[in-house]
Amino acid sequence: MRRIAFLWVGLAIACIALGAAAAFETRATRLQAIKTVGIVSAIGEEMSLTQAGLIALGNAGQSLSISAWGLDELIVQQATKLLGGRFRVQAVSYRRAAFAAIRDSAVAPVNLLRSDPFKELVRSDVAPQGLDAYIVITRARSKLGNGRNVEGIGLAQYRTLLADYGLIHALYEVRVIDGKSFDVIEKRAAAPLDNTGTMRLAGPSGPIDATFEGPAASERLRAAITDLITRSLPVTLGDMHLIDGQ
Amino acid sequence: MKHFDEAALDPAARAQQTLLTAFLAAFGAILAIPQSASAQTAFTLPAPPFDVPMLPSPSGNWTVMVGIGGEYTPDFVGSKNGKLMPIPIFSIRRAGSVDQFRGPRDSASIALFDVGNFRAGPAFKYVGSRRSDKYAELTGLGDVKAAYELGGFVEYFPVDWLRLRSELRQGMGGNTGTVADVSADVIVPLIQRLTISAGPRFTWKSTKATAPYFGVDAVQSVASGLPMYDAKGGAHSVGFGGQISYRINPQWEVHAYVEYEKLLGDAADSPLVKLRGSSNQTTIGLGASYSFDFRIR
Repeated sequence: MRRIAFLWVGLAIACIALGAAAAFETRATRLQAIKTVGIVSAIGEEMSLTQAGLIALGNAGQSLSISAWGLDELIVQQATKLLGGRFRVQAVSYRRAAFAAIRDSAVAPVNLLRSDPFKELVRSDVAPQGLDAYIVITRARSKLGNGRNVEGIGLAQYRTLLADYGLIHALYEVRVIDGKSFDVIEKRAAAPLDNTGTMRLAGPSGPIDATFEGPAASERLRAAITDLITRSLPVTLGDMHLIDGQ
Repeated sequence: MKHFDEAALDPAARAQQTLLTAFLAAFGAILAIPQSASAQTAFTLPAPPFDVPMLPSPSGNWTVMVGIGGEYTPDFVGSKNGKLMPIPIFSIRRAGSVDQFRGPRDSASIALFDVGNFRAGPAFKYVGSRRSDKYAELTGLGDVKAAYELGGFVEYFPVDWLRLRSELRQGMGGNTGTVADVSADVIVPLIQRLTISAGPRFTWKSTKATAPYFGVDAVQSVASGLPMYDAKGGAHSVGFGGQISYRINPQWEVHAYVEYEKLLGDAADSPLVKLRGSSNQTTIGLGASYSFDFRIR
């Protein structure tokens, strides 16, 4: 009786291992088979202003439109340059607002169980169809303080009793979506650029200090956000094994 | 949504730019961003040989926290004597994800529902066994087996510096009763690295969660010399707790806490507490932890 039980357990383990190995093979093989890609970026339309720490009751975050900064165009340009060495990158058209509107469910298991919402959008909204894969770059989310979520591009302030701290963030995630089946082959959130600060977010961010004044403020802000994206994009695409040498 | 567009220099656009400027000026910020080094990870692990379906890929940066603490706590609930216990500290989370505020009394929990300022999910607490041969005060009262309390929690932050938390758990094993914990914590970051917090606590327990620890039946009465006592449920304790944590640098953190609990109702009136123990229960703890990052390709 015990021997039969051991046999069943062994069989189950072998099935799981084989299934898992097959799944990995599929992902690696699918990435290798990609020749043509289109890039979708939808993180740069708005910037959030968030306060956390010692703040007043009812202090809600705000957001500003930054579409004129052209961050999505910059991201597509950067990604095209980075991916161009390995793939044939083709320009695609899409409704940016539709991609930017998708949010994760607040109920964590729902995100694991439901079909990825970007799959359908790539199928219905991106032209031309028929490329081997689509690289989709959208906002990611992180906690700030205890009770605040921040996502995408933003400026955040953390207030304490004796001092205030500011940071900028560019939180995004990258999906590789199969151009035929529209399955998500790979998904990765951009990682923090360093671990030197005590106030950390789950993605690219950096502290800001000194005095902010003058008419060139927005240009300096744009440059700082651009710097975060420029430095983190090669690392993220490298982590996803989409480019070499990272 | 406000609009920020430098190209549009109309009055509305200028007003919106002023909003951003005011926001930045409020915390004296400029975009002199220190050029930091690339990811500093202790080591890199190879990519996992397979992905588990439905679960997110483990690839990426992770933060591990390890540490050790010590806690001076009553020998058992209702005891007037205390013991020193080592407390291991371990956690693993995605790099950059915030190590959220946690109270010393909180059960182990997972936030399956999270909208930022409101979180909810399952909670679990292990209540150690009470061996009568370990302490003279318990002689004759018999052992109480370890209990496993399963339930859920809700946590609400009306503002970032105030946490309201409630847990409801059902016991299995040593006690089969229901326990409800309610607490509030005011969390004050003095500076970015130094945070103090404090607030009131209240616990309610059903009869089945109270009787095993505070009741004295006829056999136990004869064996222990304590009068018979039928412990009923109800308000179990009220208290106050506070903690202080200081992050020395991104790697090292030290913390200390104190939790005071005043037993109420049938727990406080139990002969075990009245004759051999105390209704004043104090726990003091301190610890240090070290965090490091590693990366999975």
